[in-house]
Amino acid sequence: METSMTQNINQTENYHLEFFGKGSEYFAIMIVNWLLTLITFGFYYPWARAKRLRYVYGQTALNNERFHFAGTGKEMFRGFIKIILFYIAVIALYILLLKVVKSPALAILFLYLAIFAIIPFAIHGSFRYRMSRTSYRGIRFGYRGNRNEFVKNFFKWVLFTILTLGIYSAWLQMNIRRYTHTNIRYGDVEFSNNCSGGEWFILNLKGYFLTLITLGIYIFWWQRDIFNYYINNMEMTKGEQEIACYSTATGGGFFALLMGNLLIIVFTLGFGKAWADMRTQKFICDNVKMEGNINLEEIHQTEEEYTNAFGEDAMDFFEIDLA
Amino acid sequence: MKNIIEAKYFDGQSSASQQISIVYDETINELCLQTLDGVSFIWQSEDLQFEQYDSLLEIRNKNYSGAILKIDNKDFSQKFYESMKQNKRVDIHTRLLNLGFSKIIAIAACLLGLIVLAYFYVLPPLAEKSAELLPESFDNEIGNTFMEAFLNESEVDNEKTKYIEQFASELNLGNTKPLHFTVVKSDEVNAFALPNGQIVVYTAILNNMENSDELVALLGHEASHVNNRHSTKMLCRNLAGYMIVSLLFSDVNGIMAVIAGNAQELHSLSYSRKFEQEADEQGLKILMNNNVNPNGIVKLFEQLEKENKFSVPQIISTHPLTKERKENMQKIISESIYEITPNGNLTSLFEHLKK
Repeated sequence: METSMTQNINQTENYHLEFFGKGSEYFAIMIVNWLLTLITFGFYYPWARAKRLRYVYGQTALNNERFHFAGTGKEMFRGFIKIILFYIAVIALYILLLKVVKSPALAILFLYLAIFAIIPFAIHGSFRYRMSRTSYRGIRFGYRGNRNEFVKNFFKWVLFTILTLGIYSAWLQMNIRRYTHTNIRYGDVEFSNNCSGGEWFILNLKGYFLTLITLGIYIFWWQRDIFNYYINNMEMTKGEQEIACYSTATGGGFFALLMGNLLIIVFTLGFGKAWADMRTQKFICDNVKMEGNINLEEIHQTEEEYTNAFGEDAMDFFEIDLA
Repeated sequence: MKNIIEAKYFDGQSSASQQISIVYDETINELCLQTLDGVSFIWQSEDLQFEQYDSLLEIRNKNYSGAILKIDNKDFSQKFYESMKQNKRVDIHTRLLNLGFSKIIAIAACLLGLIVLAYFYVLPPLAEKSAELLPESFDNEIGNTFMEAFLNESEVDNEKTKYIEQFASELNLGNTKPLHFTVVKSDEVNAFALPNGQIVVYTAILNNMENSDELVALLGHEASHVNNRHSTKMLCRNLAGYMIVSLLFSDVNGIMAVIAGNAQELHSLSYSRKFEQEADEQGLKILMNNNVNPNGIVKLFEQLEKENKFSVPQIISTHPLTKERKENMQKIISESIYEITPNGNLTSLFEHLKK
């Protein structure tokens, strides 16, 4: 961080991430969502979700310009229908194996494999969807990961995890993270991520044991380490220019955030969830800092517009929103 | 009359913003955008989508991919909203949200109140009606499934089962479907009825009894549960209750759902207490119809009272408090005229069951 600062000291830009969301506004959105979901017997749910996401994105601003979530309830409803169709197909095959082939072991195996097999497709699809619907200053984000490559790698990493009796799962998680994040684009800005399984493994091992030794108190500092690890490994480049992210979150900060949220939710019988969510978003935005020399006014649109329904993009069956 | 307002414009090609002038008339059916270089183009209101953040208005045009118009002017923002509303370009969610916080909460509270009323006053009779529509075979199916599982982990006393079948055949239990009786070896003081007409009695409750009147009271009570299809009604009621609860809280959050789920549980307990009382009263009638001493039920409750040293607060107990049930029975007995005819068969069969 320090060296890159001195190299480009003359062109260094200022970045300021802010969150403007208010608990009362978010609560009103949730209440209206609840009303409409109720009178439509639940069918409004995807639209409600879109409204919620649009609020959170719209209240997040970088250098005083707001982000935008363009996803619609209709798109998410379509994703929801796809999931239902998939489940119907899986259940139908399961029943076929059970009743016609009469092999309960095979049927159960199939059920587990089918549910497990959609995970990489779902990760890929949801990244594509979420990124394509996110924009800032009129420039779209995009996800350029290759589905087949990702699915192949995913199963390879899972196999390693099974062979190492779970130890490799730290590498599995970070490999997924690195692959997906490295394929994010914001116009002609490329994202990258330097996280590694080894560091992640040590971080969590340390966090786990210190939490045990301190009877749980260390959990806030463990949470801080996780958050900092995520943020400190994020980078963006545009040709020679770059932005590095770093976190200013502290264990004390996490303690105040999480305990505060717990108290708010408990003492309001859950009604305070909206306020707790806003506190969390604000905490994240307040603690993510950026340094570098990419000029935010010189980004060019590179990502194709997301064409729903009939475009090539729709070939991805699992273009759904999961996050 | 034409108005002009300054705005910030992103063209969707580059992230750079530019100053732009917007010319519009009072109806705001179209916005004429003029750049500093003198280029001008028109945005029609039917192509527009917008977001309002206090005084800031962000307008997007579906024909201009990525482009954003940002206007920071409270007055214009309001006028624009009204115009979009008149052109039916504002969705129901935004309209509701714009009613203001207190009105939204009031609407939500009214709706919630209506649902709560329906939950307590409309749902129970409706669920009972729907239970009546279910065929008897449904009751039998559930009962058989449960009994199968139950028999796997319990030890049946075959000899006593034979005697209790004979004991029951001496009685008129007012049943419309055939009843089956099973005695199970257990230290637990308990008995229950299944919707398929299967009545299970534990040995411990038999051993605590002093005479056959108590057993008649017990069988009469359990038979009444079967006769009234209490299990099936309860099932319908609970299913409907959970449907409403999950519908209510699907989009709020986990904690609320848990609280609501527990409230539903408590309400369902009070509902089952209603059924217990019904079975007590009809069981008492069965005693009297068989010319058995109705005080058998009072004695039965006394046994149960001795057994349950710990009294559970009524709100969390399935059965109404034994003491209250006993008092209710004593009250009805004192107001009734009944005849007692000793039945030697019952007495001798009872002796076999107690052994």
